Formats: sequence, structure tokens, C-alpha cells
Amino acid sequence: MTWRYRFVFIGIVFCFLLVVARLFYWQVVKAKELSALGQAQYGTNLKILPQRGEIKTSDGFPIAGNKITYLVFANPKEIKNKGEVSGILASILDLDIASVSAQVNLDRFWVPIRSGVGSEIKQKLEGLNLLGIGFNKQYERFYPESSMAAQLLGFVGKDDSGSDKGYFGIEGYYDRLLRGKEGLAVQVHDAFGRPILAKMNHASGAVDGQSLILSIDRSIQFLVEKKLKEGIEQYGATSGMVAVMEPKTGKILAMVSFPAFDPREYQNYDDSLYKNPFISDLYEPGSTFKPLVMSSALDAKVVTPETKCNICEGPVSVSGYEIHTWNNKYFKDINMIETIQHSDNTGMVFTAQKLGLDRMLSYLGRFGIGNDTGIDLQGEVSASLKPKNQWYAVDLATTGFGQGISVTPIEILNGISTIANEGKRMEPHVVEAVENLDGTVVKIPPKLIDTPINSQTAKIMTEIMINAVNKGEASWARPKGYRIAGKTGTASIPIQGHYDPNQTIASFVGFAPADNPKFTMLVIYNRPTTSIYGAETAAPTFFKIAKSILEYYGIPPEGE
Amino acid sequence: MKKPGLMILTLVLVILALSVVKIFISNNVSTSGVVLGKIQEELDKYKFENSIISEKLYVAASLTNVSKEAHDAGFIDSKSDLVLNKQIPVAIKQ
Repeated sequence: MTWRYRFVFIGIVFCFLLVVARLFYWQVVKAKELSALGQAQYGTNLKILPQRGEIKTSDGFPIAGNKITYLVFANPKEIKNKGEVSGILASILDLDIASVSAQVNLDRFWVPIRSGVGSEIKQKLEGLNLLGIGFNKQYERFYPESSMAAQLLGFVGKDDSGSDKGYFGIEGYYDRLLRGKEGLAVQVHDAFGRPILAKMNHASGAVDGQSLILSIDRSIQFLVEKKLKEGIEQYGATSGMVAVMEPKTGKILAMVSFPAFDPREYQNYDDSLYKNPFISDLYEPGSTFKPLVMSSALDAKVVTPETKCNICEGPVSVSGYEIHTWNNKYFKDINMIETIQHSDNTGMVFTAQKLGLDRMLSYLGRFGIGNDTGIDLQGEVSASLKPKNQWYAVDLATTGFGQGISVTPIEILNGISTIANEGKRMEPHVVEAVENLDGTVVKIPPKLIDTPINSQTAKIMTEIMINAVNKGEASWARPKGYRIAGKTGTASIPIQGHYDPNQTIASFVGFAPADNPKFTMLVIYNRPTTSIYGAETAAPTFFKIAKSILEYYGIPPEGE
Repeated sequence: MKKPGLMILTLVLVILALSVVKIFISNNVSTSGVVLGKIQEELDKYKFENSIISEKLYVAASLTNVSKEAHDAGFIDSKSDLVLNKQIPVAIKQ
């Protein structure tokens, strides 16, 4: 009899274990899958879109903000007279009636009709009390200053999943900070799949984006844009760009280039316009490069301001190439001050040869040439300097006067700012502070990168550049009473292995007031047609802007 | 035998009292959701109005708009500047 009891007992235990195992399988192994199935049956996940952070200029004005728009949607199951409603929607929303009708006739509970609808149109539609039509609040980028600083800002497009994403400029570089974090809420459905009105779960993780405060001075940006537009038209240039920087901190006060695009309608413009040429385009700088080479030579003590060039009485021959001055005028025994004043290429060849390749490469590297400046904008490029063993004598010679080397305008501006800042090279930046959601502001401190030349050399080079402004080719355009340090540039453009004599990149770089510089500025015109020379195109624009900025800062002229 | 009876009676009275309190508080709190909902609606309404007004304000205060309005009103760029370089002394020693 005992064995029967044992048999039954074992059988019951076995069946019990089977049940436990099956329960374990469904409740542990398959838990996630079943939970997801249940969730899908019970409700759908809805994204809660965060508000994108604003981008403000230094005075707190939002140059890129957000405005409320609406996504108009329809519930086809509730619309009785689909034809009439389609007509009304198409008319008010300025859509094709066929596409609206196609959406409204779908067998769904929710269909989108149009996004980005303004509040006035939304109120107009609401007033019609159309059954089955609803609105979802959205945020759209809003630019109160229209297309001001378009390439600096970038634009907001969509990523692969349809969420907002910043491209180019500040929107691209700081996209993660600006976009915030999407939240999730569950839209509850009944047994027929109809949505039930339910309070969204606010503890869903949605976090608005942080705002940025730029170093950009709105007034300076506005006047620079105006003057550059006028200049491009006046000089018949293909394009132009200007940037203004505070040398002591690296803050960018203004940056503009034309042609540009409208960030509100970026899709209607050629995508070649999206990039910021001031940081993304390489060019041969020409004579604006000379102050960097000259200050390197002065700092290395291979020349002094009074050193006389003993090869400058005519064209200089280097490895079979003949190097001329820009106007074929030659000055026997020209000194270094006059070399910059006359923008003498032969004098710069002499200086470069005195400096030597090793020191040239070392100083240029410390000036930041051949490397990214680290500016906080998306799209910066740089062309590395060739390795030492690939340099020929003629390369050293031509680099001395800024040809045969490719740089971006920001590298030149940063290099000249180094001279203005007593030899200290600061990292350029556009964002000055980050504003948290609670309103607290976290400032980004200026960053010292290197000190390629000492302050004494910087002062000497400043005086040489002041002399170039006062006595050089652009002296006719300078505002009287101010000490402005600067250098013209007329760079030939390499086309298919040779330099085109009729097309140039005309530029002027400088800083003011020279004794206590408040700003450094670089003006570039691409292929001006009224004159190919920087002294006759970029220099007058530079001086007009500089005078306006000095007046804006309340800095009076000191007298001649 | 009396003590357990007393304890049971006390427990029952406490339970009854707490139930009454719960009913009273629930009754008061039950309508606060409606009030909260109304406050939230008011908040959303003001936030929306603020947003619309801010939008209009920023456009009006933009330099692009101010410059246009100034141009339409007949303002032009200043052509000449008057600068007083030397400070006139307050008193001169004779």
C-alpha cells in the first residue's frame, strides 16, 4: 500500500513542478514581451517634445527662439461630411484638396493634416467647431532678426526619426545642449482602440533644452552686415565676409558672410550656402599673413625693425622662380618697417629666409596656423602644414608673403589678434555662457592657448602695422585721429596650376585702438571687380566699420 | 476577561474614528482636482499669451525692424561728429 501513496505523491509533486516551470517561463522569461504586448493593447507611447533652448546675443535678445505652432490632425472616424471638411481645411491651410481628402478618408483614428500652423489660423479653425479636427502644440524655430547671422547660427532640421536636430554653426555644435530630452507618455485606448482622454504622466523625463548666451554684439553684427552688403555691391565682389573679435578674450563680436541663406526656409537654398566660409573655406591669405611671419622673425631676433634687406633692389630668384613685388617697385636696402609699409614681397622673402624653415614652422604652429582654432562652431576645417621634408626653398619664400599656404580666415584673425593681445593667443568662441532651466547662468571662461611671441615683440609689430596704415596704400581711407594697426592683402587665386592675374581675394586685417585694442577685424572680398586690390576695397570697408565700432564704444579720436 | 474586551472596543472605536476622518478628508480633497485643472488651464492660457506677446515684442524690438521704421520715419546716418578732445579746466591759477 505504501508504494501507491509514494507514487501518487511523486506524481502530484511532478505536476506541481511542471506548473511552476511554466509559470516561470511566462512570468520571467517572456515577461518583457508580454508587457510590451499589453502596453500596445492598452495604450501607445507618445513622445513629449521638449522646447529647444534659445540662442541669445550678448544683450539677452533671442536671435533664435521658439514660437508656438500647431499640428492640425483629424480623427476620420468622427468626421461626418468628409468632402466639405476637406474643402474647408484645404482652403484655410493652403493645401491641395486632394491630399487633404486622401488623409481624411483613411480608416484611422488619427491622421496628420499640416504642421507648423500659426495661432491665428488655429483660432480661425477652432472657431468653425469642426468635429473630428484637433490641434497638437508644437514649437518651431523663430528668428526675430530674420536672417541675421544665418551661417553663424546654422538651422534646425530633422533627424532620421523626425526629431528636431541642429545643423551647422551654433545649432549644430551645441545641438545636444539645445535640444533637451524627449519625454514619454502613454495614450490609453479602450477595447475598440479609441483614445481615452487621460492626464499625461508629467514624470515622463521630458526636459527642455538649455539656452545659450553668445558673445555676439547685436548692434555690431547689424552694422557689419549692412556695411558688408553695401561693400559687395559697391566693389562688384562675388562674395564677402567679415568677423570681429575681442583679442583679449577671444570673444567673437560679429561674424557675417554673403551670400547667405534664410534659416526659416533653409530648404529653399543651395546647400553650399549652409557652411560658414569664415571657418570652412581655405584660401591663400596673401599679405595679411606678413605680420605673422615678420613678428616671428622679430621675436626670434633674426631681424630687427631697422634690419636692411640686401636682396630687395629687384626681383628675387629662388630655385628658378622669380619673385616680384605687387607693383614691380623695388627699394634698395628697405628695412623691415618699410617692408610691411610697402607690402614688399622681396623683403618678406628675405625675412622668411632669415627665419629659416624650422623656426617658421614652429612659430606658425604656435600662431595656430595649420590647426583648428577650436572655435565652438560646427564645420571648422584647417589644412595641416606640410611635413618639413616636403618643403622646398621656394615654398619658404612664398609662405613669407602668404602665398602657397592655405588657411581659413579665422586662423588669420586669430593670429593677428595674438599680436593685438601682447602675444597671447586666445581660443575664439561664440558662446559666452549657458543659461540653465532655472535661470542660472554658467559663464564659459576665456582660454589662453599659447604665447608665440613676447609682449615686446607684439608692441613693435603693432607700431609697424600702425605705420603701414598711416603711410601705406590704404592710408587714404583711414579715419583721422585714431591709431589703427592693420595690413592690406591682395592674394592671387590659384586656378589650374597657375595664378589668375585678374582675380584676387582682397582683404584687410587690423585692430583698434592700437594701444588698447578693443577689437580685431578681418574683411575679405572674393573677386572684387571694381579693383583687385585690398587697399581699394577691403580697407575702406574695414575703416568704415572700425569708425562705427569706435563711436559705438564711445572711444573718441585722439587727434593726429 | 475584561481587558481583551476593552482592547477590542478601543480598536473598533479607533477604526470608526479614522474612517470618519478619511471620509471627511476625501470629501474635501475630491474637488481639488477640478480646481487644480482650472488653475493649470489658466496657467497654460497665460503662458500661451506670453509667448504670442513675446513673439510680437521681439520682432518689434529687432534691429531689422527698428532700422526700417527709422528709415521710414526719415532718419539718416550721421555724417559729422563733434568731438571735444581737451577738457576745459575748472579753475586757472593766476
